[in-house]
Amino acid sequence: MSLLKLENVTKKFGGLTAVSDIGLTVEQGQIYSLIGPNGAGKTTLFNLVSSIFPVTSGRIFFDEKDITEVPTHALASLGIARTFQNLAVFKHETVVNNILVGLHSHLKADPFSAAVFWGRARNEEIRARERAEEIIEFLEIEELRDLPVGTLSYGQQKRVELGRALAVRPKLLLLDEMVSGMNQEEREEIGRFVLDLKEELGMTVFMVEHDMGIVMDISDHVCVMNHGAKIAEGTPDEVSNNSDVIDAYLGSRRKSA
Amino acid sequence: MRTGHFKESTGQLIALTDNPTTKAWVAALVVALLAAPLLLGAYELGLLVTVLIAVVGGVGLNLLTGTTGLISLGQAGFLAVGAYGNAVLMVDYGWPVWLSLPAGGVISALISLLVGIPSLRLKGLYLAITTLAFSFIVSHIILYAEPITRGPNGIFVSGAEIFGFNVQKGPPLYFLTLFVSVAVVLLALNLQRSRLGRAWLAIRDHDIAARAMGIDLTRYKLLAFMISSFIVGLAGGLISLQIRFINIDVFGLILSIEALAIIILGGLGSIAGAILGAIFLTLLPEVIRIAFNLVLEPGSSFYSTYVYEIRGVVYGFVIVAFLRFKPDGLIGLWRDSKKFWSNWPLAY
Repeated sequence: MSLLKLENVTKKFGGLTAVSDIGLTVEQGQIYSLIGPNGAGKTTLFNLVSSIFPVTSGRIFFDEKDITEVPTHALASLGIARTFQNLAVFKHETVVNNILVGLHSHLKADPFSAAVFWGRARNEEIRARERAEEIIEFLEIEELRDLPVGTLSYGQQKRVELGRALAVRPKLLLLDEMVSGMNQEEREEIGRFVLDLKEELGMTVFMVEHDMGIVMDISDHVCVMNHGAKIAEGTPDEVSNNSDVIDAYLGSRRKSA
Repeated sequence: MRTGHFKESTGQLIALTDNPTTKAWVAALVVALLAAPLLLGAYELGLLVTVLIAVVGGVGLNLLTGTTGLISLGQAGFLAVGAYGNAVLMVDYGWPVWLSLPAGGVISALISLLVGIPSLRLKGLYLAITTLAFSFIVSHIILYAEPITRGPNGIFVSGAEIFGFNVQKGPPLYFLTLFVSVAVVLLALNLQRSRLGRAWLAIRDHDIAARAMGIDLTRYKLLAFMISSFIVGLAGGLISLQIRFINIDVFGLILSIEALAIIILGGLGSIAGAILGAIFLTLLPEVIRIAFNLVLEPGSSFYSTYVYEIRGVVYGFVIVAFLRFKPDGLIGLWRDSKKFWSNWPLAY
């Protein structure tokens, strides 16, 4: 069953076509990787899916529903969460509070009951806090929970950002260059978390990634973009032997006589 | 030796405090505040009322500027709306003060939508200028809406009674102010540990990520504007009760700047900081006065002649000194000294 489906999605910034007529389908339970050289339009495509920019043309479907016009803040309650390419944590807040922000769409307290903080509102906060602790445990960041995120290392901040996205309890998780700037050990850990998400929680993961090691190791399906257009897709093996892909990354061999 | 403070349930984790020492100090503070009218003279009690009103205003502004990151230079406008709302409803329409005071806050909250909606996409300096313009508009409207506000003549506020007590002077005014300020502080503390408070912090730190987490920026920014202006409107109403005569000169630009100074000196985003800042800035002129009286020979009129100049210079100097040496304000100073003593004699 398809969870996310893009049909002829195009995005133009003035005269520049950043994403050109992309169609792709992410199946339920897949780890789907989107790769391509710098400036290929991968992050723009993510921003279109999460409604940060409006599409110029084309439709986006999630769970059979048309979400092309749905505003960004309404996507979390539908079950879409994302991380950002450059850290987008709330850096003055503690790890726990960052993760609790991810639970926002699951909490219901209105301003009045929040101000009184008694009964239902308090119970809801307690449950939210328990849920946040589960995520902290899953990501193995117990000892960091009360530290302001801004004081943590880059890899730890990325992990908090992943935790915040998990708190949304998404059906579809969008990961934008999760392991860039990490060392080998941190990369492997993140790769393991992503596999756990798929295998233990049945989550569907759609990721933009530059790290070919991770892409080839854990992806079920790979899509390659270049200059805003899709140039290939298939299993990791198929893609890595595709001549267009090799051309895009390494340049084409001069055809000499 | 105390080795740590352990929690046994999630309820304890989200409690405002479960630390017995903190609880004991808060209890002592409550007793001291309740006993204050017995211990203090009329002048000191009046000063304490001023401090408490500054606490209300500071906590209100802190929700908007400290927590949500929306800089407002229009606090004088919201104070004026709250004060005039309370005064007009009470004096001209005969509303009892327990109704007209919150009504002044509600009017202030509704008016804040007029600033909030057009400035939703503004941040930083642009929002500061917009809110500044708003406070000028408010003072002009008050000046020219003579049938309601009596324009330049101002309003004498009198006859505020609760349970038969005149709440415009002495202990009754003090207890009313104390009640409002304690209620506002508790409300703000609760909001800050709820999903609203976290949504505001998220908007302050990274608004795109906040949207991706399901936070509707429009809704939460407007809520911040409304709740903050409601609280500031309450402070305005209390001012009108305390000074008993309001006109537009009371709510000048300097008041907005003092409000910002309170939360910056206290420590942005912290409620305890806003309280400390309010105490500090309200008592600073007193300290200056006492200091000058000690230094100057008796009978010298130097201080009384130049009181505004001296105050201005010292205010400016204190703010510059804080921004340079302690940008996280009094609350930062407090945290550092706590750390110092708990680690002593080690450096860290």
